[in-house]
Amino acid sequence: MFTTGFKFYFGLAAALVLSALVYGYATGGEHVGPLTWGWKGGVGEHIGYTMLMAGGVVASTISFVIVAFRDADPSAQAHYLGVDEIVPTATVTGSYWPVVGAFGAGVGLIGLVLTPVLFVGGVVICSLTAIEWMMDAWADRATGDAEANAALRDRVMAPFEIPVAGTLAVGVIVLAGSRIFLNASKNGAVFWAGLIAVAIFGLGVLYAAKPKLNRNIIAGLVLSCGLAVIAGGIVAGVDGEREFHPHEPHGDDYGDDSHAEDDLSE
Amino acid sequence: MTMTESPPSEAAESTEPVAATPGAGLYDALTTSDHKAIGRIWLRLGLLLLLGVAVLGVLVALEGTSADGADVFGGVNAVWQMQGLYSVGLVLLVVPALTIGLATIVVPMQVGSSNIAFPRAAAAAAWGFVVGVAIMVVSVLAGGGWGALDGVSGGEADAIELTLLGMGMVAASILLACICLATTVVSLRTPGMGLMKTPLFAWSILVSASVWILTLPVLIANLIIIVVDLRGGPLLFGNPEGTTMIFDQVHWVLEQPAVFVLGIPVLGIIGSIVPVVAGARHIAHAGLMAAIGVAGLLAVGGWSQPAFSDQRDELLFVAFGLLAVVPVLASLALNSLTLAKAGPQVGLPPAQLLGALGAGLLLLLGTGAGALRVIGPFDLIGTGADAGVVHLVAYAAVVGLAAGMWFWASKIGGYALPNAAGLGVMLDFIGAAVLMGAAHVLIGFDFASGLNDAMAWVVFVGAILAVLGAVGVVSSVASAKRSGDEPGDDPWHGHTLEWATVTPVPAGNFVGALARVTSEAPLLDVAEQADSDEGGAS
Repeated sequence: MFTTGFKFYFGLAAALVLSALVYGYATGGEHVGPLTWGWKGGVGEHIGYTMLMAGGVVASTISFVIVAFRDADPSAQAHYLGVDEIVPTATVTGSYWPVVGAFGAGVGLIGLVLTPVLFVGGVVICSLTAIEWMMDAWADRATGDAEANAALRDRVMAPFEIPVAGTLAVGVIVLAGSRIFLNASKNGAVFWAGLIAVAIFGLGVLYAAKPKLNRNIIAGLVLSCGLAVIAGGIVAGVDGEREFHPHEPHGDDYGDDSHAEDDLSE
Repeated sequence: MTMTESPPSEAAESTEPVAATPGAGLYDALTTSDHKAIGRIWLRLGLLLLLGVAVLGVLVALEGTSADGADVFGGVNAVWQMQGLYSVGLVLLVVPALTIGLATIVVPMQVGSSNIAFPRAAAAAAWGFVVGVAIMVVSVLAGGGWGALDGVSGGEADAIELTLLGMGMVAASILLACICLATTVVSLRTPGMGLMKTPLFAWSILVSASVWILTLPVLIANLIIIVVDLRGGPLLFGNPEGTTMIFDQVHWVLEQPAVFVLGIPVLGIIGSIVPVVAGARHIAHAGLMAAIGVAGLLAVGGWSQPAFSDQRDELLFVAFGLLAVVPVLASLALNSLTLAKAGPQVGLPPAQLLGALGAGLLLLLGTGAGALRVIGPFDLIGTGADAGVVHLVAYAAVVGLAAGMWFWASKIGGYALPNAAGLGVMLDFIGAAVLMGAAHVLIGFDFASGLNDAMAWVVFVGAILAVLGAVGVVSSVASAKRSGDEPGDDPWHGHTLEWATVTPVPAGNFVGALARVTSEAPLLDVAEQADSDEGGAS
């Protein structure tokens, strides 16, 4: 159940946390301060307390990561599985999810500052990544045949992946586009709308002409778009929305477009 | 089965040759779980950042050549932002990216593992770093940074928060990569390779990764405190009249002792190159491991944050500063003794040795300058000496990593880097470090305003040399990839396991099972055994 690596790091964590508590109380810690990281009462000499407690937290995190992925000790796994030795066959397959997860985290951070919608989007992407990551890990060791593992994984996940991916892609484009339009001037909005339309049309033509497009080109396009969304989102978000000055309809002007003043910032 | 490869078994039978490394296109880079491809992502990004930061360094230095400011950036706030980006870029972006890149490629092979621990997490760390850097750089260019001198407007406040969050993402990515590297060295060593038989570069990476693991959570906590304060108040950091408090809160990571962590892998690289040049094993492998370990202990810096309570006058801080010289000196002395005892082999390209020893001497200068800085009567803290220490240590790391890239080029990309260009690159970086480091320290002493003005121009020249060095590395890699020269599997007659595999290195690293390791130089053991057998036969 528990690997040697887990035992080592968990033991180290316990020792460090206990040391921090002893050190905290021995150097003037008050009430439950050392137990609550200083929330209720002082922790004593805070430098040593912080170093020891931080070491304990780091060691405990490593211990749980190790036991979660059972990476640290093949002999412990062999014992757990009741076999003499685990043959090293499980090659970790390639996966998009690390890069998607990183992108999701970035979107979430940007959303944390600029707009809750992006933050929720980032959380959704990270959650999906976690699920997919676990499924990949499971599929990698489902059988001894890598091709069968891949087919098994697709059979389980594809019915969920395709609609969710489509929805997310459209959502991201709409959101990013809306940020750009809210920031752009009147003529700028026309330019951006044209550019986006041309880009979508161009991609469609490209795909129609070459259905089996080089996967490196597709990857490059996806990566470029992702970075462009992040960069554009930051610049547009930081710059803020342009100011709107709704023209109050009054008196004789009502319904008379010829006098309507365009107050949109150029 | 596990997410990572198990270590090779002693009892395992010889296996069939493994498949070649997958292609090197963008698709493979995005989806890879192979440690060499992940390492190359870090290295490419590190070189790109090195180039960018070096160019930014020239502009910042030019700005510093005039007392009134050369107005390169267009305003006092922009100068402040770019100085912050340059400092953070050099310490937290360039050197970690290059270090992690080299380590991710070399360390698993050195310890006889078929892959890095948690390969998908390692890939996520690389891409998280890319996204974090993108957020940080774009937000600084959009008016963010680490505070503002001329007051904070609404948009700037958002950009500042994004800069801090991007920096946090960078720190978290480095942390994740460090966990993968440390776990690889701890858990995936080949049978027979006890911890004391670990190759010195792998050991130095374990030590520096452990120091980062202790340091970066503190930095991330700092950043969270600042962002929460900015969003909820602000009470501490958001003075709208203009403030440097945010930078004050985080700049401990750019100062000693925390900045010394950059130099620890340099000691490992020197320790890997010197015995190969000497053609003999180290006279004191355990002593070198101890020196690297002590250097690591003295580089833990999360406790020295002046923003909460200034520790910089206290005995502990002074002791850390003075003692940091000792392990560097010990390491250089032991390496020199190894070289002196065996004598250098004839015909080995000198670029790597120049880089390794030059990096070691720069690190000695950096820690020496740090020792001067903590001596109270000199009153150097908060002066140009801060930047002097950072430049010496960071460029010591750059020189050492460049030497490592030249040394392990065949395992990194299957090519050989040109020696003449290597010599030029090493000399450029060493010159840059000496000029910028020494000039900043002299500015810190503040002998005379005329001298300070002259030193500002010296810094400018040093910055230009750094750009030339960066261009040299990038062009060398590009030309080596185009040349298609075959460097061979073991061009230097190396001693450690990365030289036991073929070039280019296949997926899984090793063809067949490795023999049980009995010392820190297993390939030297094999060569000595062969010589002994030949001698006995004759």
